[in-house]
Amino acid sequence: MNARIGGMGWVTPLGCGISEVWQKLLAGEKATLQSITGPQPEQSFAIFRVPAEATKSAPAHPRLRRSSAISRFAAVAGLDALADAGIQLDAASAKRTAIIFAISNGGVIYTKRFYHDIVASGAQAASPLLFPETVFNAPASHLAAILGITGASYTLVGDGAVGLLAMKMAEDLLLDPALDRCLVVAAEEADGLLCDAYLRWRLPITLSEGAGAVLLDRTGSISIDAIDAGGNFSHQSRAAHCIRTIFLRLEASSDDLFITSANGSFIDRAEAASISAFAPRAHTYPIKSALGESVGASALWQVICAVQALKTRRLPGTQEFRARRAVVLACGLNQQAAGLALAR
Amino acid sequence: MPEPQTPERHARRVAIVGAGVVSPLGPGWVETAEALRSGRDCISEITAFSVEDCRCKTAGQVPDEWLNGESGPRARRLHRVSRMMIAALREALAQAPDFKPELTVVGTTSGGMSFGEEYYRALQRGGSLRHSPSLIANYTPQKAVMDAQDALGISAPCQVIANACASGTNAIGHAFHCVRSGKYRRVLTGGYDAISELVFVGFDSLRASTPEKCRPFDRSRSGMVLGEGAAVLALENLTDAEARGANILGEIVGYGISTDNHHLTQPDPSGSGARRAMEAALTSAKISADEIDYINAHGTATPFNDAAEGKAIAELFLRTPISSTKAMMGHSLGAAGAIEAVISLIALREEFLPPNINFRESDAELDLNIVANQSRPEKIRTILSNSFGFGGTNASIILRAFET
Repeated sequence: MNARIGGMGWVTPLGCGISEVWQKLLAGEKATLQSITGPQPEQSFAIFRVPAEATKSAPAHPRLRRSSAISRFAAVAGLDALADAGIQLDAASAKRTAIIFAISNGGVIYTKRFYHDIVASGAQAASPLLFPETVFNAPASHLAAILGITGASYTLVGDGAVGLLAMKMAEDLLLDPALDRCLVVAAEEADGLLCDAYLRWRLPITLSEGAGAVLLDRTGSISIDAIDAGGNFSHQSRAAHCIRTIFLRLEASSDDLFITSANGSFIDRAEAASISAFAPRAHTYPIKSALGESVGASALWQVICAVQALKTRRLPGTQEFRARRAVVLACGLNQQAAGLALAR
Repeated sequence: MPEPQTPERHARRVAIVGAGVVSPLGPGWVETAEALRSGRDCISEITAFSVEDCRCKTAGQVPDEWLNGESGPRARRLHRVSRMMIAALREALAQAPDFKPELTVVGTTSGGMSFGEEYYRALQRGGSLRHSPSLIANYTPQKAVMDAQDALGISAPCQVIANACASGTNAIGHAFHCVRSGKYRRVLTGGYDAISELVFVGFDSLRASTPEKCRPFDRSRSGMVLGEGAAVLALENLTDAEARGANILGEIVGYGISTDNHHLTQPDPSGSGARRAMEAALTSAKISADEIDYINAHGTATPFNDAAEGKAIAELFLRTPISSTKAMMGHSLGAAGAIEAVISLIALREEFLPPNINFRESDAELDLNIVANQSRPEKIRTILSNSFGFGGTNASIILRAFET
């Protein structure tokens, strides 16, 4: 049996909650740009930030006392996804639940602070309180502790495609009858250091932050038709070839709608060329135009958008559509690409 | 992806058809086996950055001259962790030249972190940022496996697990699950990490690393030393491996994972997390604890880890021989589980128990059968390998000698 989407949670610069964010997107709202300082004097960047009130529902758990913003975003999104599925975990059901966490840049704010102290003042200034929070799997560990999960917990790292690679892993884990569900969570935080890095890398994107959570089980209303874990393109010029291979394997066509990963970089051209070749009449929606590029969290945001489109039969900027399938394409900035097809 | 067509009998068996390793012990199987057999101490003074302000000043380091196999303009931009991964993958594929993986699952904790450090230092000190695009593009944790695949003509999708020090074993375990499920026929797996200043100072700040010798399970153990390296295993379902006449090095037969919610950086002192991972691996392998002939322990030599792991092992096993090979090569974090899987494979095939060097005195609290200081010739059939990490992540795999 195909894995299905049982519940979702969403923390974005447009707010928190599936319904709230979706209604704003349908109304054509876009997140508001905010200024952030860069790592060098008088340097500033414009990014999309999660409003403080969006994480007010974060649990008052000791693990979140000193944690990064990522962990708080993830806790809110993860708990919302379980609530959306009507699940309250107890010791028995937690044993039958796995977590997969997708992340790209990780706890960059704490990592920067920790390393800055070393550079500025030497190793003796390094904080033993900060270091553990710089580890990629710290947010997954906090979420597992909050939920009481004692079995499988994985953190996957990668670029903008990592969310779909995590979905693939969840689908594979659900082959194990000892598991009932897999909570896939992706989260990212934005910082001026990242803005500087992407700019120097000549990737003109608008950074964003937040989290997405998707609960995979065997009973939800939207099924995963196929996940293609894709592959790696050794050069940006090969991205379109990689995307076409994914479309071929997903049997993508104009009958599908597409939630794309266009973000103002080389990805836009590669995606546009591939979609015009495979599905020239399809409805497409580049969600990053409204929410920004949240890197590790972005593919799950796309999945949530695709599920909402299929459920509500609406898509921002589109009056109506008849598609019964939605294709999510995640092409990352660092040479990974993957695709996923959802069916109503 | 092709539908599984493997008969049930063989869909349950996962063959290792290639193995490659680079670690402070040596640049390959033969050198690693020799270092293990002789109990060589491969820990040395750190040279890559200043450790003047650190308590610990040593680590297991891979000499750059072992990593000079790549050339050309692209090769110049590769981080040394990519070079380690290329070397390990090259050795594994030399044993299985026609191995085409459908999926790659590897573990790491920080990939090419030192490139990120270089960029940040240049920013802070007003240095040249001319190379920053290359440093930024190549520091990401997933890059090393992608570089290795690119260098050797493989284009499988890469799932990169960052479960702290358990990453490598988690990666092998998940790859095993994928093949055993029958959904995949061939999966490449392993792990990699290179020493970086940020991580070295991090463990030093926690006082988890020692200024003395690393003495796993010793009464006077005082902490770990870091290491680095890469290791790769090529996994294939046994039916396909036999059909194409592959040289089968051994099998993975079990995997267990558990999460210990006690603390972000410390294991539950009862050893319950470690015990649950080992029990799950035994259940997965459908064997009892007394069928394990040797345990390659996580054995970091920190007081907390060894107490919790030792307690769990003593409760579950009846004086099965154990050793931690980290005293010889250091703790290579995300690579550790993968390197130790290859070490376990070497022990199975070359019939000896690797030693736990620097061992002086037993810990009265731990009733363990330590393979102390010298390797021991012994024909063994089944090995359990443990990896436990920050975040309370615990993983155990079971390897077995191949028997038709």
